Amino acid sequence: MDQKPQKRSMQHWFRFAAHLLGLLPLALFSLDLLRGQLGFNPVETALQRSGRAAVVLLLLSLTITPLQKIFNLPKLIPLRKPLGLYAALYAGLHFITFAVWDYGLNLSLIWLEFNQKPFLILGLGALLILALLAATSNRFTKAKLRAAWRWLQRLAYLAAVLAILHYLLAVKGDLLTLQGDYTLPLIAAGILLILFSLRIPIIYKALQRWFQRE
Amino acid sequence: MDHQIYRSIPVTPEEVTPKHIYQSRRKFLKSMGVVGLGSLLASCAPALSPDGSLPAGSPTENLEDALTDYDAITNYVNFYEFTTSKEGVAERAQDFITDPWSVEVSGLVENPQTFSMEQLRANYPQEERIYRMRCVEGWSMVIPWVGFPLHKLLATVKPTAEARYVLFESALVPEQMDSADSGMFPFPYLEGLRLDEAQHDLTLLATGLYSEPLPPQNGAPIRLVVPWKYGFKSSKSLVRIALVSDQPPTLWNTVAPQEYGFYANVNPAVDHPRWSQATERRIGEAGRRPTLFMNGYAEEVMPLYEGMDLTINY
Repeated sequence: MDQKPQKRSMQHWFRFAAHLLGLLPLALFSLDLLRGQLGFNPVETALQRSGRAAVVLLLLSLTITPLQKIFNLPKLIPLRKPLGLYAALYAGLHFITFAVWDYGLNLSLIWLEFNQKPFLILGLGALLILALLAATSNRFTKAKLRAAWRWLQRLAYLAAVLAILHYLLAVKGDLLTLQGDYTLPLIAAGILLILFSLRIPIIYKALQRWFQRE
Repeated sequence: MDHQIYRSIPVTPEEVTPKHIYQSRRKFLKSMGVVGLGSLLASCAPALSPDGSLPAGSPTENLEDALTDYDAITNYVNFYEFTTSKEGVAERAQDFITDPWSVEVSGLVENPQTFSMEQLRANYPQEERIYRMRCVEGWSMVIPWVGFPLHKLLATVKPTAEARYVLFESALVPEQMDSADSGMFPFPYLEGLRLDEAQHDLTLLATGLYSEPLPPQNGAPIRLVVPWKYGFKSSKSLVRIALVSDQPPTLWNTVAPQEYGFYANVNPAVDHPRWSQATERRIGEAGRRPTLFMNGYAEEVMPLYEGMDLTINY
């Protein structure tokens, strides 16, 4: 590697930041767990915090490509993998909290929650996609699948859509009239819409021209 | 004064643990790492049949109904006029003015009146009632309320023959309630009961909790408690009770009628459209427990619903 020392350390700082962001929710949660500060409904707190962490990290991983394209920052690209894997981690923890901590692996009860209800089915869909992406996030699979691998990893966008729909359906209220506390899931949906639009060539090319005029 | 006590399980007055002792026992259990047993306990819960009903002979009678901590009851509250954060209500409600306070009782009655809290306390002897409370979200508590049955107040005002329902209106004071103007909900909070439900002895107007006056976050100075229905039917901080002839609009039924019905009777066999109502989390305990039909008050209230299809009238 013949990069200037300055460039190399920038990469390292970015990677460090990505790991810090990824591990922070878990560290804070563990501290609160040990100090018994998870509130009066600890299972609910765990579900909410793991779910939010998963959505935030997933959205962050999806900002990398638009940022890289618009501002010409190839150094950001290696961050997609750790951010995406952390999103998958929190999605997994979220599911384990539900299935094990909350429902004690009682399959008949879990079935009652899933049966004919989009709310959890959508969440499970998001989780399965993230699990698949995590499992294929390595050199060997990338080499084997080649072009198909890039297509596969773009399913992260679908995972984000499913996860945010799941989040919206968790709120008590009426989604169609937005009566209820939809603040956070709507912000997430808004960010995702912006991220989608930034992938449209007309838009990112215009932004590229704007930010990369030299 | 005769201290009549309503219980979810037979308990004598001496067994009601003073709250400070109860709290220190809870802390002891927590320090023993009882939290981790959650998954084990949950797998001991009886398996439900696919329609959500419990199999015959389920040991629900043996499930303990311990009082919920005062801390939990007062710091884990849904009071959306203040905030949608359950643990944030207590702080924001601290300056809510609950004195002076009056409740207007009007509508189709012979003696409409406006009562001050002093009049209510003087005219109606308060008694302790220990009730289960089941939130539609899927968690529950056991709460030692202090209050008097609504039917005593109704007897004073004398509903006319046209009166068939009771409307309850909660306070809406935007200057003191941070989220009252958020536009998220069509406040003021309205609720309603059928007249016979309102006159049932279980239906309580509560003014206290754990032998102390209600703190603001729990609906001070006077609130409704209807223990066999989901918690959202138990309106807080009442300002008006009106007798009406038609089924009144209620906030949650207005917001999402396909999800929150007028009756809102606790029923493990009738799912919420987005989640099952077959089980619940008892706050302060690990694991889940089966939800009881009519929140365990079926024997007392089923006569009210004879012949009604409870899946249609949810």
